[in-house]
Amino acid sequence: MAFDTLESLKGINREAVIDLLYRMADDELIIGHRNSEWTGHGPILEEDIAFSSMAQDEMGHARAYYELLHQLGEAEPDALAFSRKPRQFRCCSLVYLPKGDWAFSLMRQFLYDSAESVRLAALSDGSLTPLAQLALKLRGEEKYHLMHGRGLVLRLGSATDESRRRMQGALDLAYPHALGLFEPMEADEPLAQAGICPREGELRAQWESAAAPTLSAAGLAVPDNAPPVHGGRVGRHSSALTELLAGMQLVYNIDPSANW
Amino acid sequence: MTDTQWKIFEVFHQQARGEAHVHAGAIHAPDAEMALLLAKEQFARRQACVNLWVVPAEVIAATKYEDDDMFLRGTDKSYRESWGYKTPRTVHEGTKGQRNEARWVEDRRQNSGT
Repeated sequence: MAFDTLESLKGINREAVIDLLYRMADDELIIGHRNSEWTGHGPILEEDIAFSSMAQDEMGHARAYYELLHQLGEAEPDALAFSRKPRQFRCCSLVYLPKGDWAFSLMRQFLYDSAESVRLAALSDGSLTPLAQLALKLRGEEKYHLMHGRGLVLRLGSATDESRRRMQGALDLAYPHALGLFEPMEADEPLAQAGICPREGELRAQWESAAAPTLSAAGLAVPDNAPPVHGGRVGRHSSALTELLAGMQLVYNIDPSANW
Repeated sequence: MTDTQWKIFEVFHQQARGEAHVHAGAIHAPDAEMALLLAKEQFARRQACVNLWVVPAEVIAATKYEDDDMFLRGTDKSYRESWGYKTPRTVHEGTKGQRNEARWVEDRRQNSGT
């Protein structure tokens, strides 16, 4: 089974793809916005620029997914980003946790990028052609993000006692939320049966094997039996998202009809 | 006061395969691998790039500015200036066949949307 266009999606498949795209787009938008808080505050100039640039990349990915949603009959990308209420967002909790210290933001980005790489690889082999093509296009940027994250995680895991302690603390805090990236969904079955995207449980297993070698080479211990933080995918969020959106949507909502 | 900065790496940037690597600037990094990763965002995010080099600034040997009189010409050496030669247009632009082929490749590239 192959879907050459978005219009060829019908019924349950169409609903499942819309659900998947909201999850992916909202993750990208919110982590991009959260990481942009480091702009001008990075640990060194070179890293400040690199991290800010990657935050921009993530927002670009969000825009591309919102465009697909718009083609499927949802609102304009700007309206999706700036007009929805917190409970309408489908992002997981990992992406909106406060930025914390540098170790936390870096570790979160590494866990997120390794998950995104796994998902994009699967989607690029999937049966929904427009999404597979987009996934292929985004993989180059993701490759860099992952090289960057791996490079710093490996070094900071063993640089000094303080860096090791902070990185392990960051991993302990982020890991249960990272598992929430793969919250099982009703859409899993139709997406998997249509060959569009593997089930979340399968992606989670792939992600855990993909991230583990870097973490263990960095001397960091993955928390045992961490309970996944679920709920984000169905719109149950903490106040961290409400506060983030209040800031991000403020200017747009002064005059939603303004031309930019 | 001890210098807490990372090492300096000079960065060289190549716009297309086969072209020269051109000096783009310098960055701080703890080692060469991180220097390449950081150089990518500093020097390759606003322009085309296919390859980067990084070189530790400390390994570069340079002449001294106080010796720059050695570059002056004591006598007329204009015979060394080679820009007076006449060259046929085909040396710069290729033959008609080569130009057509280049145009065909460019058309194909544009039409394929890559």
